[in-house]
Amino acid sequence: MIFSSVFFIFVFLPITLLLYFVMPKPGKNLVLLICSLIFYAWGEPVYIVLMVFSIVYNYISGIEIDYHRRERNSGRMRFVFWLTVGVNLAILMFFKYYGFLMENINHILPIDIPYKELALPVGISFYTFQTLSYIIDVYKDNVKVQKNLINFGTYITMFPQLIAGPIVRYADIETQLDRRKITPSGFGNGIAWFLRGLGKKVLLANNIGMAYDAIAALPDGQMSVLSAWVGCIAYAFQIYFDFSGYSDMAIGLGKMFGFEFMKNFDYPYISKSITEFWRRWHISLGTWFREYVYIPLGGNRGGTLKAIRNIFIVWFLTGFWHGAAWNFIFWGLYYGVLLLLEKYVLNRVLEKLPSAVKHIYTMLFVLIGWVLFFSPGMGDALSYIGAMFGIGANGFADAAGIYYLYNYALLFVIAAICSVPFTYRLFSRTVFGGRRGKGHTAVAMGVYVAIFVLSLAYLVNATYNPFLYFRF
Amino acid sequence: MALRERENRNRKRRGGKKLQRSFYIRMLKVFGVLLVLLVLANFIKRDQEFSDEENRMLTQRPKLTWESLMNGDYMTDYESYVSDQFVARNQWITLKLYQDMLLGKKESNGVYLGKDGYLIEKPDEPDWESIERNTAQIAALAERYPDIPTYTCFVPNAYNILSNRLPAQAPVRDQEEDLGRIRGMLGSSVRDISVDDALREHADEEIYYRTDHHWTSLGAYYAFGTVAEAMGIQNVETDYNIHTVASDFQGTLASKSGYHGSEDLVQIYEAANLEPEYVVTYVESNEKSTSIYKSECLNEKDKYTVFFGGNHARVDIATTQPERRNLLVFKDSYANCFMQFLLPYYQNIIMVDARYFYDNVDSLIQNYAITDILFLYNVNTFVTDNSLADVLAVEGNGGESPAEEGAAEEGAVEEGAAEDDAAEDGAAAEG
Repeated sequence: MIFSSVFFIFVFLPITLLLYFVMPKPGKNLVLLICSLIFYAWGEPVYIVLMVFSIVYNYISGIEIDYHRRERNSGRMRFVFWLTVGVNLAILMFFKYYGFLMENINHILPIDIPYKELALPVGISFYTFQTLSYIIDVYKDNVKVQKNLINFGTYITMFPQLIAGPIVRYADIETQLDRRKITPSGFGNGIAWFLRGLGKKVLLANNIGMAYDAIAALPDGQMSVLSAWVGCIAYAFQIYFDFSGYSDMAIGLGKMFGFEFMKNFDYPYISKSITEFWRRWHISLGTWFREYVYIPLGGNRGGTLKAIRNIFIVWFLTGFWHGAAWNFIFWGLYYGVLLLLEKYVLNRVLEKLPSAVKHIYTMLFVLIGWVLFFSPGMGDALSYIGAMFGIGANGFADAAGIYYLYNYALLFVIAAICSVPFTYRLFSRTVFGGRRGKGHTAVAMGVYVAIFVLSLAYLVNATYNPFLYFRF
Repeated sequence: MALRERENRNRKRRGGKKLQRSFYIRMLKVFGVLLVLLVLANFIKRDQEFSDEENRMLTQRPKLTWESLMNGDYMTDYESYVSDQFVARNQWITLKLYQDMLLGKKESNGVYLGKDGYLIEKPDEPDWESIERNTAQIAALAERYPDIPTYTCFVPNAYNILSNRLPAQAPVRDQEEDLGRIRGMLGSSVRDISVDDALREHADEEIYYRTDHHWTSLGAYYAFGTVAEAMGIQNVETDYNIHTVASDFQGTLASKSGYHGSEDLVQIYEAANLEPEYVVTYVESNEKSTSIYKSECLNEKDKYTVFFGGNHARVDIATTQPERRNLLVFKDSYANCFMQFLLPYYQNIIMVDARYFYDNVDSLIQNYAITDILFLYNVNTFVTDNSLADVLAVEGNGGESPAEEGAAEEGAVEEGAAEDDAAEDGAAAEG
């Protein structure tokens, strides 16, 4: 089930909200847990077993680790900790990377081992990282152990962030699991977040994604320089508005149930360096890797060589996390190299450049990154990048390129306007910041209703509504 | 000074906070009411079975079974059930289309929103393997019967002939190039009749429907001039009585794109001087008729089915034409409105639609003493057709591939062919 569907908005959400608010306080988490399990089972009826196992197993492990600590048995504690981490990663490996692994083994070795690739349980990468954050923080004594199975299950399965993030660290919502305040204005704020996310996903991402799809489907050798750029920029907008739209919807839904999740995207396309881009893109994932991989490995404290090693490990994993395929690994390492270059070589050069140049430099490499990301294989990626720079391209501009450019010109402009913070700040100021506290709230309400109605028109039609994260 | 300024700013901020809070509370009220209203409206609304607008069956509430629950079918079906049965669905679809047009989009669901209200179907990628098999079998048939002249006529599509009505720079295939390649495959035993020029000359007239993927009777009329000459038809009729039988036709492309801005005329052409008597036999259902037109189809959504009521595996037309000329036509739906022109010149016309036909072609040719064979297809259907070769193949060395799977469909063609074909044409928008 995805948030941007008629079924979610008009069947699942109203029923869940009704049950949640009818239920007296002690039962609220249970309602949330059960509804979240149904939400998950809706798309993955079989993998619900895996989910329940994961919850119970990690719940017990947390208690065990805590028990051994109190018994001052650090050997046992370490054993249970590493075993739990191992089991979680093994599950992730098995379901997500098994097929990839076997494919490559068969490729390298002169044998052909038969294997059956498994369907990837949706959201497994997200919830595995959430459970790991809990286990690691319990082990490091950063958080108290969760003795309440329902609270723990609620944390792991909470449907707003279950399938596409943000990756909520246990430490961040530990207290909210027990105590959270739901106010009418907080709920209303949640609606606003949800609607903004819905608009991003349905009105912007889905529409502009069609330009990318059409261009990606051009037959070999039919790609002009112009088409290649239009396609690539369209994809950049699609994935940003899609992903950040999901995150906004998740944050909004969280607020409706009284939770505060961290911001996941912060206008990444205004970045003036790759380093800055990754501080603004998928923040919860970057935070997770920094907290649970980079820093435990020693970060940059062990000298330059160690820092370089650590950065490569983190970016290899970041790439691999996005999908079991070589192009994701290359995409991750590509950013590893770029970040290292910025850290040790380019930082002094970049400082002196004018903002516009820094911005162009950043976007150029981000766009090339997206080509690595969306291409089905490395060969395709290289020929696409080649086409962007005229190598093997079908001329500079052909009919298809011009057609798609003017067809989607308006959308590109709207998407660009919505990619900068100025737009929302202006909206916010006009609405709330008027003289003597009188804003233009009626206009704002109209805007939100319009977003809702216009999005609904696309949802009812349901012709094109892709879920981009099935490989995550 | 500074103090007062800060105080001012604080007051303002506090005012803003308060304003925010009241705004979000109002937001909760507005959207709470909106959501409840829509949920209730959907709850009250009766389910619909068929959508005239979209020309397709709508998803019904799925039955809950253990199996459908475990494999996830129940959930998928339920989701499409909710959006298919959403209250005021047609209005939502129209709204979506306006949004698309406002955004400057020039296509919707594989249909170009062309100039002058023309909806033009995006061409499919040709299936060259099937084309090779089909053309090889056509050539083989012509060689098998060297005494029977075998003609092919591939009717170009709107995106080719009406290219100036496409959105500017719309990337479409070069259909002339495809046609050249196809003609090259046919060999010398087959006589190909090109109607490209005949149609292109009249590209400014109503030779294709604005809202449907077919050509109009007028387009067929212009093509007939060329075909008659090539096939050596004598004493060709010069005068027709034209009857406009519908003026509010919105065809498959309107359904597919959701764009209902134009309407078409459906016209039939009646030869003024040659008026042969004839009987039409729909072989599968053994239904006979004295007219190739089905006026009851004019009450349906797809008014193009006024010609023969749509596609049928085989239709025989026996006329009072004294000269012994018997024509076998392999056809798609473009031929349906073409037959009104061919009718007066043959004693027997056997129309075969290879997509639904599973009998032996050779015995047909012998039993009916066929004197001419015509393959009449529009290019878009021909380049994706994978049924013709199997029908034409000599028993025993053909038939090994795809067509057999289709056998089950045959039953469906007989009964209520018009509806079935309408639904099929809507989905595939071909033929």
